[in-house]
Amino acid sequence: MNDMTPTREQRTAVLEGMGCKRKRVEDIRFTQGKGTYVDDVKLPGMLHGDFVRSPHPHARVKSINSDEALKVPGVLAVITAETLKTVNLAWMPTLAGDVQMVLADGKVLFQNQEVAFVVATDRYAADDGINKVVVEYEPLPPLVDPFKAMDADAPMLREDLAGKTTGAHGPRKHHNHIFEWTVGDKDLTDAAFRKAEVTIKEMISYHRTHPSPLETCQCLCSFDKIKGELTIWGTFQAPHVIRTVVALIAKIPEQKIHVIAPDIGGGFGNKVGAYPGYICAAVASIVTGKPVKWVEDRIENLTSTSFARDYHMTAEIAATKEGKVTGLRVHVLADHGAFDACADPSKWPAGFFNIVTGSYDFPTAHLAVDGVYTNKAPGGVAYRCSFRVTEAAYCIERAMDILAQKLGMDPAELRLKNFIKPEQFPYHSALGWEYDSGDYATAMRKMMESVDYAGLRKQQAEKRAAFKRGETREIMGLGVSFFTEIVGAGPSKNCDILGIAMFDSCEIRMHPTGAGIARMGTKSQGQGHETTWAQIIATEIGIPADNIMVEEGNTDTAPYGLGTYGSRSTPVAGAAIAMAARKIRAKAQMIAAYKLEVHEDDLEWDIDGFRVKGLPEKTMSMKDICWAAYNSVPPGMEPGLEAVSYYDPPNMTYPFGAYICVMDIDVDTGVYKVRRFYALDDCGTRINPMIIEGQVHGGLTEAFAIAMGQEIRYDDEGNVVTGSFMDFFMPTAVEAPHWETDFTVTPSPHHPIGAKGVGESPNVGGVPAFSNAVNDAFSFLGSTHIQMPHDFWRNWRAAKELGVFV
Amino acid sequence: MQMNDSQRIPAPRQKVWAALNDPDVLKQCIPGCQSLDMSSPTEMTATVVFKVGPVKATFGGKVTLSDLDPPNGYRISGEGSGGVAGFAKGGATVRLEAESPDVTILHYEVDAQIGGKLAQLGGRLIDSTAKKLAGEFFASFGKVVGGAEVA
Repeated sequence: MNDMTPTREQRTAVLEGMGCKRKRVEDIRFTQGKGTYVDDVKLPGMLHGDFVRSPHPHARVKSINSDEALKVPGVLAVITAETLKTVNLAWMPTLAGDVQMVLADGKVLFQNQEVAFVVATDRYAADDGINKVVVEYEPLPPLVDPFKAMDADAPMLREDLAGKTTGAHGPRKHHNHIFEWTVGDKDLTDAAFRKAEVTIKEMISYHRTHPSPLETCQCLCSFDKIKGELTIWGTFQAPHVIRTVVALIAKIPEQKIHVIAPDIGGGFGNKVGAYPGYICAAVASIVTGKPVKWVEDRIENLTSTSFARDYHMTAEIAATKEGKVTGLRVHVLADHGAFDACADPSKWPAGFFNIVTGSYDFPTAHLAVDGVYTNKAPGGVAYRCSFRVTEAAYCIERAMDILAQKLGMDPAELRLKNFIKPEQFPYHSALGWEYDSGDYATAMRKMMESVDYAGLRKQQAEKRAAFKRGETREIMGLGVSFFTEIVGAGPSKNCDILGIAMFDSCEIRMHPTGAGIARMGTKSQGQGHETTWAQIIATEIGIPADNIMVEEGNTDTAPYGLGTYGSRSTPVAGAAIAMAARKIRAKAQMIAAYKLEVHEDDLEWDIDGFRVKGLPEKTMSMKDICWAAYNSVPPGMEPGLEAVSYYDPPNMTYPFGAYICVMDIDVDTGVYKVRRFYALDDCGTRINPMIIEGQVHGGLTEAFAIAMGQEIRYDDEGNVVTGSFMDFFMPTAVEAPHWETDFTVTPSPHHPIGAKGVGESPNVGGVPAFSNAVNDAFSFLGSTHIQMPHDFWRNWRAAKELGVFV
Repeated sequence: MQMNDSQRIPAPRQKVWAALNDPDVLKQCIPGCQSLDMSSPTEMTATVVFKVGPVKATFGGKVTLSDLDPPNGYRISGEGSGGVAGFAKGGATVRLEAESPDVTILHYEVDAQIGGKLAQLGGRLIDSTAKKLAGEFFASFGKVVGGAEVA
């Protein structure tokens, strides 16, 4: 050793492994406008398709006349349901076990539903063609209010299901009913309510909204008639699933389908499903023999591909006078729109909504969810959350605040009293989950100390007194939220999509000079996988992250995986990476033992290579092992250094966090100011703290949007009136508050590196924090629950209804 | 969307009533009207260019006169489709009150519904646009009918 020998710290630092705030490598191209998105892919002779859409929410389609459209210069074809019927594709299966019209077949069931697909030499010609397609409609009464869906005289929306008393998830009670899903012990729960000293009941709505990624859904399909091969570039969060679905419904052999998801400009759940645009572009390419591109515009994205939420949750809590919860009863009316196209694991018609017991030790609980059809767009995707988890977290976190108000207790105190205790993990919840790990009280107390919770409450009391004295017109709210997420779908024992188990995968191939490539079954849409995946490998096998290239999104080269959504990438694929890397290290150890002329057991791992136990100077670096793996392996060993791992997780992971929002609202204008927002996240082992912070900032901004105004709203006639960013709230840096982030670390005991996933936690925990802040602000004026979203006008209206002014 | 208003017209009631039934007068007064053809005494077909916020489209549709009570009033209703821009339907109940032999007060109650892209993009503007269009119609109508009297 001499002064030139790097220290252990230097050797660790050069790897930029787990725990390092490594800068995002993908940003080098993104910040220079050098990303390759679907719309950047241009093929010779490429055509463009676009939709004729229904202006009516519910109507019979009496005729479609394309004669004039076909005379428009550049228009080559107009595809209708009749065309698609010749290839048996007028309808397509949904992920939720329902079927959905690809193009209107006899009826339209929501405004902006796809009616015909115009194919032209450029997008302008396609739009001109759309204007010339004449569709004759016979309007039918629209069904907009989900609470009226199961009325005896409600119009029948799905005539294709007439007379069917059973759907994909059991019996149907009415012609507009989709399913009823129940979990928990009803008798025990009813008994708990009969005995309860205190109960609360509230109908808590989580309004319809939309993931609205900046890049809309799009694809480019190219069918090679000679080879019989179909190549699809698309904005796909789950490219392999798309390949399999195409193989199943288009009857093309799966090896002849090439799905490529290039750079994606945000997904947030919007890009999980299969949409009519994909089918129409593929059929158009097969029919014309030319590549066909389909790119949604903003209105189409907001109004047709995959809304989120629209859950109307009636929550009841039973408790003792001292505030110990004894039972939870929840009924959900779920508005699924015209087709049940929820993107949930197949056996979970309401996703993982049964996480609704939250972070609290409920001895018993019962949940029932009724899904209904309405004349609205289909969807029900997990918008920056695991499947229906944000709905569940909002429901329980509002309900706990309402209980605290009824008991006259502090909401933070009530939560501390009912938390699942650290020694109860693994914890079996009343609604069937096994929580892996958690230390809730520590996180909650750290939050309360960090913001001086007691001081804020004191300040609030003073401000309320001043308000009552008429000295101020501003009210102050503290929104406490303590959420438990359930992510990492999931174990094959209970999670599949159309029968495909929800494992994920990683393949690592090391090159002779000490570099390598890792290919994944996941697909980043902005999460920074190229950065973080390399960091896991760097720590596991001692090769600098900069020397590892991460590749995702090409189904020909990537190992089969279920994709990226529901915060599943780190819990599932992150584990696969560690397992594949450990296979590499195991072989490397054999090679090192041979080269160092010792027994394998005499070697120990040391940051970036192996050293002989007791002889710290006798080492072999991973870089040198890579060379040896190709050029001088032990006799009998195959050359090469690569590994693949398919990881089927034993359980979900359960990230959690303690959030607080401090808000001031002017009662005369409804204008709110977020004075402070503090978010403490525990996502287990932290791979890249900077990326976590970025994820939390993004998720909180979306939570802020949803809670404070973002909404897909329909008028009584079934018109969607929030079809553009003029009306659909999309916060920018101007509106977004300042975020303070913090953390605790409670590793997952069953995950190879202890990581739990974080991408969606801030949305799950953020929405109740904002809503609780608004509700807490108004509570002293006599209100119990004000529905979201809490925009200025609704705040003003709430103040007016509470009699604050005439 | 509903609104009520009235317009004072310096013309005798009988003359105002005749103008209300005259397609040439209606064509002149309906904002954006490109054509208006009478197919029967109570039915017309019309082409109207209609603009709400960012959406501008040519609407083709039917106009029907009903509840005729000469010279006291009628109901004029219509529905039209603007293709991809959406559709509109609505009507106005018109009542004529003779203030003096030479002055008529025209009372109107308008109800209108829009659908499609017009509603999606123009929803927040529809009330003010409808008020503006109704105002324009009755102002021109007053001018055409009353103005002719002066001349």
